[in-house]
Amino acid sequence: MTLTTRFTQETEGHLLKQWLQQGDTLRWFPMFDEREIDDAVRIWIGYAKYQASLTAEYDGVPCGMANLNLQPYQKMAHQCLLSIIVDEEHRGKGVGTLLLRDLEKLAKEKFRIELLHLEVYKGNPAVNLYRRSGYVEFGCQTRFIKDKGEYIGKIFMQKPL
Amino acid sequence: MKEHDLRYTLMTDAPYLNEWLLQEGVMHWFPFSLGKEMEDAAACWIGFSKYSCSLTATIDGIPVGIGTLFLMPYRKVAHHCLFKLIVDKKHRNQGIGTSLVKNLKNLAKNYFRQELMHIEVFEDNPLIKILHAQGFKEFVRQERYVKENGKYYARILLEAFL
Repeated sequence: MTLTTRFTQETEGHLLKQWLQQGDTLRWFPMFDEREIDDAVRIWIGYAKYQASLTAEYDGVPCGMANLNLQPYQKMAHQCLLSIIVDEEHRGKGVGTLLLRDLEKLAKEKFRIELLHLEVYKGNPAVNLYRRSGYVEFGCQTRFIKDKGEYIGKIFMQKPL
Repeated sequence: MKEHDLRYTLMTDAPYLNEWLLQEGVMHWFPFSLGKEMEDAAACWIGFSKYSCSLTATIDGIPVGIGTLFLMPYRKVAHHCLFKLIVDKKHRNQGIGTSLVKNLKNLAKNYFRQELMHIEVFEDNPLIKILHAQGFKEFVRQERYVKENGKYYARILLEAFL
Protein backbone atom coordinates (compact mmCIF):
# COMPACT_ATOMS: atom_id res chain seq x y z
CA MET A 1 0.00 0.00 0.00
CA THR A 2 1.44 3.34 -0.99
CA LEU A 3 0.20 6.80 -0.15
CA THR A 4 1.57 9.67 -2.21
CA THR A 5 0.68 13.21 -3.28
CA ARG A 6 1.00 14.98 -6.63
CA PHE A 7 -0.21 18.24 -8.14
CA THR A 8 -3.95 18.36 -8.76
CA GLN A 9 -5.02 18.41 -12.41
CA GLU A 10 -7.56 20.93 -13.67
CA THR A 11 -9.62 17.98 -14.92
CA GLU A 12 -10.19 16.56 -11.41
CA GLY A 13 -13.14 18.73 -10.40
CA HIS A 14 -15.44 15.70 -10.65
CA LEU A 15 -13.53 13.94 -7.83
CA LEU A 16 -13.86 16.95 -5.57
CA LYS A 17 -17.57 17.16 -6.35
CA GLN A 18 -18.03 13.46 -5.66
CA TRP A 19 -16.27 13.67 -2.26
CA LEU A 20 -18.24 16.78 -1.28
CA GLN A 21 -21.48 14.93 -1.93
CA GLN A 22 -20.61 11.88 0.24
CA GLY A 23 -22.61 11.24 3.43
CA ASP A 24 -22.67 14.27 5.72
CA THR A 25 -19.47 15.84 4.29
CA LEU A 26 -21.31 18.96 3.17
CA ARG A 27 -22.10 19.67 6.81
CA TRP A 28 -18.50 20.86 7.14
CA PHE A 29 -18.59 23.18 4.14
CA PRO A 30 -20.63 26.35 3.48
CA MET A 31 -22.26 25.00 0.31
CA PHE A 32 -25.86 23.79 0.38
CA ASP A 33 -26.84 22.32 -2.99
CA GLU A 34 -25.37 21.15 -6.29
CA ARG A 35 -25.28 24.64 -7.79
CA GLU A 36 -23.25 25.93 -4.85
CA ILE A 37 -20.99 22.86 -4.94
CA ASP A 38 -20.29 23.41 -8.65
CA ASP A 39 -19.38 27.03 -7.93
CA ALA A 40 -17.03 26.08 -5.07
CA VAL A 41 -15.41 23.27 -7.10
CA ARG A 42 -14.76 25.69 -9.97
CA ILE A 43 -12.97 28.08 -7.61
CA TRP A 44 -10.97 25.33 -5.86
CA ILE A 45 -9.86 23.61 -9.09
CA GLY A 46 -8.91 27.03 -10.48
CA TYR A 47 -5.86 26.97 -8.17
CA ALA A 48 -4.56 23.82 -9.88
CA LYS A 49 -3.14 25.89 -12.75
CA TYR A 50 -0.83 27.60 -10.24
CA GLN A 51 0.24 24.20 -8.86
CA ALA A 52 -1.19 25.28 -5.52
CA SER A 53 -3.32 22.17 -5.06
CA LEU A 54 -2.33 18.59 -4.21
CA THR A 55 -4.13 15.30 -4.81
CA ALA A 56 -3.41 12.30 -2.59
CA GLU A 57 -3.34 8.82 -4.12
CA TYR A 58 -3.76 5.55 -2.27
CA ASP A 59 -2.24 2.80 -4.40
CA GLY A 60 -2.60 5.09 -7.40
CA VAL A 61 -6.25 5.95 -6.72
CA PRO A 62 -7.11 9.60 -5.92
CA CYS A 63 -8.43 9.83 -2.35
CA GLY A 64 -8.15 13.45 -1.21
CA MET A 65 -7.17 17.00 -2.06
CA ALA A 66 -5.65 19.96 -0.28
CA ASN A 67 -5.45 23.45 -1.63
CA LEU A 68 -3.67 26.74 -1.00
CA ASN A 69 -6.19 29.54 -1.59
CA LEU A 70 -3.47 31.93 -2.72
CA GLN A 71 -4.14 35.56 -1.82
CA PRO A 72 -4.75 37.88 -4.75
CA TYR A 73 -3.05 40.81 -2.98
CA GLN A 74 0.66 41.43 -2.55
CA LYS A 75 0.38 42.68 1.05
CA MET A 76 -1.12 39.36 2.06
CA ALA A 77 0.83 37.01 -0.19
CA HIS A 78 2.93 35.78 2.77
CA GLN A 79 -0.08 34.04 4.32
CA CYS A 80 -2.72 31.73 2.96
CA LEU A 81 -5.96 29.95 3.80
CA LEU A 82 -5.99 26.21 3.08
CA SER A 83 -8.80 23.79 2.24
CA ILE A 84 -8.72 20.01 2.53
CA ILE A 85 -11.00 17.06 1.80
CA VAL A 86 -10.53 13.29 2.07
CA ASP A 87 -12.65 10.64 0.34
CA GLU A 88 -14.96 9.10 2.96
CA GLU A 89 -13.69 5.60 2.12
CA HIS A 90 -10.09 6.57 2.89
CA ARG A 91 -10.49 8.45 6.14
CA GLY A 92 -8.42 7.35 9.15
CA LYS A 93 -5.53 6.13 6.96
CA GLY A 94 -3.21 9.13 7.30
CA VAL A 95 -4.34 10.78 4.06
CA GLY A 96 -5.13 14.12 5.76
CA THR A 97 -1.87 14.12 7.68
CA LEU A 98 0.16 13.51 4.51
CA LEU A 99 -1.79 16.13 2.53
CA LEU A 100 -1.20 18.73 5.23
CA ARG A 101 2.49 17.90 5.51
CA ASP A 102 3.09 18.10 1.76
CA LEU A 103 0.92 21.20 1.38
CA GLU A 104 2.93 22.98 4.09
CA LYS A 105 6.15 22.06 2.28
CA LEU A 106 4.72 23.35 -1.01
CA ALA A 107 3.51 26.56 0.68
CA LYS A 108 6.86 27.27 2.27
CA GLU A 109 9.18 26.28 -0.57
CA LYS A 110 7.29 27.29 -3.71
CA PHE A 111 5.11 30.17 -2.51
CA ARG A 112 7.21 31.47 0.42
CA ILE A 113 4.19 31.36 2.69
CA GLU A 114 5.02 32.25 6.29
CA LEU A 115 1.64 31.58 7.87
CA LEU A 116 -1.00 28.99 6.97
CA HIS A 117 -4.52 29.22 8.37
CA LEU A 118 -7.78 27.34 8.07
CA GLU A 119 -11.41 27.55 9.05
CA VAL A 120 -13.22 24.55 10.51
CA TYR A 121 -16.77 24.23 11.81
CA LYS A 122 -17.45 23.24 15.41
CA GLY A 123 -17.92 19.51 15.78
CA ASN A 124 -15.89 18.60 12.68
CA PRO A 125 -13.68 15.65 13.70
CA ALA A 126 -10.96 17.02 11.39
CA VAL A 127 -10.11 19.52 14.13
CA ASN A 128 -8.09 16.73 15.81
CA LEU A 129 -5.98 16.33 12.67
CA TYR A 130 -5.32 20.07 12.61
CA ARG A 131 -4.33 20.16 16.30
CA ARG A 132 -2.03 17.15 15.84
CA SER A 133 -0.46 18.90 12.87
CA GLY A 134 0.36 22.00 14.94
CA TYR A 135 -2.54 24.33 14.11
CA VAL A 136 -3.65 26.55 16.99
CA GLU A 137 -7.07 28.15 17.43
CA PHE A 138 -7.13 31.96 17.47
CA GLY A 139 -10.81 32.85 17.21
CA CYS A 140 -14.36 31.67 16.64
CA GLN A 141 -17.41 33.10 14.88
CA THR A 142 -20.27 31.50 16.74
CA ARG A 143 -23.12 31.87 14.25
CA PHE A 144 -21.32 31.41 10.95
CA ILE A 145 -23.48 28.58 9.59
CA LYS A 146 -27.25 28.36 9.82
CA ASP A 147 -28.38 24.94 8.72
CA LYS A 148 -31.98 23.81 9.27
CA GLY A 149 -32.37 26.47 11.96
CA GLU A 150 -29.24 25.37 13.83
CA TYR A 151 -26.18 27.62 14.17
CA ILE A 152 -22.67 26.21 13.85
CA GLY A 153 -19.57 28.17 14.80
CA LYS A 154 -16.50 28.62 12.65
CA ILE A 155 -13.15 28.12 14.35
CA PHE A 156 -10.06 29.92 13.03
CA MET A 157 -6.75 28.03 13.29
CA GLN A 158 -3.25 28.85 12.11
CA LYS A 159 0.30 27.59 11.98
CA PRO A 160 3.46 29.61 11.31
CA LEU A 161 5.74 27.79 8.83
CA MET B 1 -20.93 71.79 8.95
CA LYS B 2 -23.32 70.78 6.16
CA GLU B 3 -25.82 67.98 6.62
CA HIS B 4 -25.34 64.87 4.53
CA ASP B 5 -27.97 62.80 2.77
CA LEU B 6 -28.01 59.08 2.01
CA ARG B 7 -29.08 57.29 -1.15
CA TYR B 8 -28.42 53.94 -2.79
CA THR B 9 -25.00 53.71 -4.42
CA LEU B 10 -24.90 54.02 -8.19
CA MET B 11 -22.38 52.48 -10.57
CA THR B 12 -21.55 56.06 -11.53
CA ASP B 13 -20.15 56.61 -7.99
CA ALA B 14 -17.13 54.52 -9.00
CA PRO B 15 -14.83 57.49 -9.78
CA TYR B 16 -15.41 58.85 -6.25
CA LEU B 17 -14.53 55.51 -4.66
CA ASN B 18 -11.35 55.37 -6.73
CA GLU B 19 -10.49 58.95 -5.78
CA TRP B 20 -10.92 58.29 -2.03
CA LEU B 21 -8.88 55.08 -2.18
CA LEU B 22 -6.04 57.07 -3.74
CA GLN B 23 -6.03 59.72 -0.99
CA GLU B 24 -2.85 59.80 1.07
CA GLY B 25 -2.55 56.96 3.58
CA VAL B 26 -5.92 55.38 2.76
CA MET B 27 -4.56 52.31 0.97
CA HIS B 28 -2.81 51.23 4.18
CA TRP B 29 -6.21 50.26 5.62
CA PHE B 30 -7.16 48.05 2.69
CA PRO B 31 -5.73 44.70 1.56
CA PHE B 32 -5.02 45.77 -1.99
CA SER B 33 -2.19 47.87 -3.37
CA LEU B 34 -2.06 50.60 -5.97
CA GLY B 35 -2.68 49.64 -9.61
CA LYS B 36 -4.56 46.64 -10.91
CA GLU B 37 -5.25 45.23 -7.42
CA MET B 38 -7.04 48.43 -6.44
CA GLU B 39 -8.89 48.76 -9.74
CA ASP B 40 -10.21 45.18 -9.54
CA ALA B 41 -11.21 45.52 -5.88
CA ALA B 42 -12.98 48.85 -6.47
CA ALA B 43 -14.85 47.40 -9.46
CA CYS B 44 -15.99 44.42 -7.36
CA TRP B 45 -17.02 46.76 -4.51
CA ILE B 46 -19.09 49.12 -6.65
CA GLY B 47 -20.55 46.10 -8.48
CA PHE B 48 -22.60 45.25 -5.36
CA SER B 49 -24.58 48.46 -5.91
CA LYS B 50 -26.71 46.56 -8.45
CA TYR B 51 -28.25 44.60 -5.56
CA SER B 52 -29.26 47.83 -3.74
CA CYS B 53 -27.09 46.78 -0.80
CA SER B 54 -24.82 49.81 -0.85
CA LEU B 55 -25.37 53.35 0.47
CA THR B 56 -23.71 56.57 -0.61
CA ALA B 57 -23.55 59.64 1.61
CA THR B 58 -23.74 62.93 -0.27
CA ILE B 59 -23.35 66.60 0.58
CA ASP B 60 -24.98 68.99 -1.87
CA GLY B 61 -25.44 66.00 -4.15
CA ILE B 62 -21.73 65.14 -4.21
CA PRO B 63 -20.69 61.68 -2.88
CA VAL B 64 -18.59 61.83 0.31
CA GLY B 65 -18.72 58.24 1.53
CA ILE B 66 -19.83 54.72 0.64
CA GLY B 67 -20.83 51.75 2.80
CA THR B 68 -21.57 48.39 1.19
CA LEU B 69 -22.93 45.02 2.29
CA PHE B 70 -21.07 42.15 0.65
CA LEU B 71 -23.92 39.65 0.56
CA MET B 72 -22.91 35.99 0.86
CA PRO B 73 -23.44 33.74 -2.18
CA TYR B 74 -24.28 30.51 -0.28
CA ARG B 75 -27.56 29.73 1.48
CA LYS B 76 -26.15 28.41 4.79
CA VAL B 77 -24.25 31.66 5.30
CA ALA B 78 -26.83 34.01 3.79
CA HIS B 79 -27.93 35.23 7.26
CA HIS B 80 -24.81 37.35 7.67
CA CYS B 81 -22.58 39.53 5.56
CA LEU B 82 -19.31 41.37 5.46
CA PHE B 83 -19.34 45.11 4.91
CA LYS B 84 -16.90 47.76 3.78
CA LEU B 85 -16.85 51.47 4.37
CA ILE B 86 -14.96 54.51 3.16
CA VAL B 87 -15.35 58.26 3.77
CA ASP B 88 -13.72 61.01 1.73
CA LYS B 89 -10.76 62.29 3.78
CA LYS B 90 -12.04 65.85 3.39
CA HIS B 91 -15.27 64.90 5.20
CA ARG B 92 -14.05 62.79 8.08
CA ASN B 93 -15.09 63.44 11.70
CA GLN B 94 -18.47 64.79 10.64
CA GLY B 95 -20.51 61.73 11.62
CA ILE B 96 -20.70 60.34 8.09
CA GLY B 97 -19.04 57.01 8.97
CA THR B 98 -21.37 56.57 11.95
CA SER B 99 -24.40 57.40 9.83
CA LEU B 100 -23.35 54.91 7.13
CA VAL B 101 -22.81 52.13 9.71
CA LYS B 102 -26.19 52.80 11.40
CA ASN B 103 -28.07 52.86 8.11
CA LEU B 104 -26.27 49.81 6.74
CA LYS B 105 -27.36 47.92 9.88
CA ASN B 106 -30.94 48.97 9.20
CA LEU B 107 -30.74 48.04 5.55
CA ALA B 108 -29.16 44.67 6.40
CA LYS B 109 -31.75 43.81 9.03
CA ASN B 110 -34.93 45.13 7.50
CA TYR B 111 -34.39 44.62 3.81
CA PHE B 112 -31.98 41.67 3.58
CA ARG B 113 -33.06 39.87 6.79
CA GLN B 114 -29.49 39.70 8.00
CA GLU B 115 -28.93 38.52 11.57
CA LEU B 116 -25.38 39.75 11.91
CA MET B 117 -22.84 41.90 10.14
CA HIS B 118 -19.08 41.65 10.30
CA ILE B 119 -16.11 43.59 9.06
CA GLU B 120 -12.39 43.00 8.63
CA VAL B 121 -10.08 45.88 9.57
CA PHE B 122 -6.36 46.19 10.13
CA GLU B 123 -4.94 47.19 13.49
CA ASP B 124 -5.12 50.86 14.53
CA ASN B 125 -7.72 51.68 11.87
CA PRO B 126 -9.59 54.75 13.20
CA LEU B 127 -12.83 53.11 12.04
CA ILE B 128 -12.55 50.67 14.98
CA LYS B 129 -13.68 53.43 17.38
CA ILE B 130 -16.86 54.02 15.36
CA LEU B 131 -17.50 50.27 15.16
CA HIS B 132 -17.21 49.82 18.93
CA ALA B 133 -19.59 52.73 19.45
CA GLN B 134 -22.08 51.01 17.13
CA GLY B 135 -21.99 47.74 19.05
CA PHE B 136 -19.40 45.75 17.10
CA LYS B 137 -17.32 43.31 19.12
CA GLU B 138 -13.98 41.79 18.19
CA PHE B 139 -14.02 38.01 17.68
CA VAL B 140 -10.74 37.42 15.86
CA ARG B 141 -7.37 39.08 15.98
CA GLN B 142 -4.80 37.52 13.66
CA GLU B 143 -1.28 38.84 14.05
CA ARG B 144 1.04 39.16 11.03
CA TYR B 145 -1.85 39.02 8.55
CA VAL B 146 -0.64 42.01 6.52
CA LYS B 147 2.96 42.58 5.46
CA GLU B 148 3.61 46.04 4.12
CA ASN B 149 7.10 47.39 3.48
CA GLY B 150 8.55 44.63 5.65
CA LYS B 151 6.29 45.44 8.63
CA TYR B 152 3.53 43.16 9.90
CA TYR B 153 0.05 44.24 10.96
CA ALA B 154 -2.81 42.31 12.56
CA ARG B 155 -6.27 41.92 11.10
CA ILE B 156 -9.22 42.26 13.40
CA LEU B 157 -12.68 40.83 12.72
CA LEU B 158 -15.64 42.48 14.44
CA GLU B 159 -19.31 41.55 14.36
CA ALA B 160 -22.62 42.91 15.57
CA PHE B 161 -25.90 41.06 15.99
CA LEU B 162 -28.81 42.89 14.40
